[in-house]
Amino acid sequence: MKMTKIYEGAYQWIMFGRDENKPDNIIDTNQYVVRTANRCLLMEPGGTELFAPMLAAVLHHAPVEEITDLFASHQDPDIISSLGLWDQALPNAKLHAPAIWEGFLRHFGCESIEYVPIPDTGGVIRLDNVELKLIPAHYLHSSGNFHVYDPNAKILMSGDVGAALESPGAPVFVDNFEAHVEKMRYFHQRWMPSNQAKRNWIERVRELDIDIIAPQHGRMFRGDDVRRFLDWFEGLQVGTAV
Amino acid sequence: MLSVCIIEGSMVSSNVLSGLKMKKNQTKSQFVAVASIAAELSAVMDVAKEISLAAANAKAIAFRAGEKAKGFQPITDFINELAKDTIELVHAINAHALQLYQLTVDEYRMTEAFNKFELAGVLAKGATYESSLRPALLRAQQKMQECLRQFNSHIAQLLDQLGEVMHPARAARVIAANSRIEASQAGEYLQSLQAVAESVDNAAQVIHDNVQRCRSALSFITLTE
Repeated sequence: MKMTKIYEGAYQWIMFGRDENKPDNIIDTNQYVVRTANRCLLMEPGGTELFAPMLAAVLHHAPVEEITDLFASHQDPDIISSLGLWDQALPNAKLHAPAIWEGFLRHFGCESIEYVPIPDTGGVIRLDNVELKLIPAHYLHSSGNFHVYDPNAKILMSGDVGAALESPGAPVFVDNFEAHVEKMRYFHQRWMPSNQAKRNWIERVRELDIDIIAPQHGRMFRGDDVRRFLDWFEGLQVGTAV
Repeated sequence: MLSVCIIEGSMVSSNVLSGLKMKKNQTKSQFVAVASIAAELSAVMDVAKEISLAAANAKAIAFRAGEKAKGFQPITDFINELAKDTIELVHAINAHALQLYQLTVDEYRMTEAFNKFELAGVLAKGATYESSLRPALLRAQQKMQECLRQFNSHIAQLLDQLGEVMHPARAARVIAANSRIEASQAGEYLQSLQAVAESVDNAAQVIHDNVQRCRSALSFITLTE
């Protein structure tokens, strides 16, 4: 499992991904951790297959008892089908996930972990002195969907928005935006259902101060590539399967 | 400031992997066995209902035959009671089988968790907080052992209950033999009453066979802790 620190200040953001032992027939995913003095938030913990390598990787940064919070942007199995296992490992943790998916996500097993439902309007996660904003991203692609924005680190964890279907071992940052576009096009056109939702999201996200957009698949965008991505996404017709 | 590192390719030992594979097959057998028990029990229930119907039928024939089937009349009550006993027992066993299914799910989840924690332990070798995994691993192991203990205890209870169902099935075969004797003295009602005896005998045989299959399936899945 590759680990990349993407912010280091009074706390840290770490990206995990490109697991070499991942079975070939499951999609590669990025996981993100925010590590503060006494707590640790694990975003998009991943599927069952990824649980052991992910837990092992986090143990390089935090002890089990300090992994206090999980976040799932939506209900997909590659995001959170490992929930039942985290539920056994972290009996005192909280799962922040969309309110509308609670009854669905509990199918994965959630007996000990506290489910903190995120209302449609969004919310915040507080970790020690760090406040993370939960930005609504409904219909991008899931009908109940949130992204995590850190105004201090200027990072937007954008779930499936900005995702790309990459070959194994791809770099973690976009280095040639024009070349990267083709790896994103089909994913966004096919998985994102609503142009209206897309425009609404872009409008809100343009008002945020962002250094890094960190999606759940593929590469992260930094610097000017953040604006390039938003411009490209704005011009893209989505929901093309009908 | 950005930095990148890769966890040194921790090799998972072949013992751990083959242990996981064996456990997976065992769990698969558990689910199949518990599901097949439910199917067999449902068939036993149908047969018991058939016996009950045969008893009602025999009662009506014996009533019409009057004196000629006098010896047959009390037998019909026995048949009916046997059917009722079987149905009640199967109801109780079904409830137990449902609990067993839930335990199978719990046990599967706990074993899965334990195996994954073990694997995480191997992969986390050398990690700063490697030792913090130990309490979770121990907790999972204890829960898994408790599930196994409960599972095996339920299996033992279920085997006893299935043994109890065999009693009415054996008694039904004896009754069927008596019924044939009584039917032979029933004149023109001979054929009808013999058919009743035949159907009770067949039903008892089916129940016996199905219950036997349940018992073998259960004996097969008793787990080692």
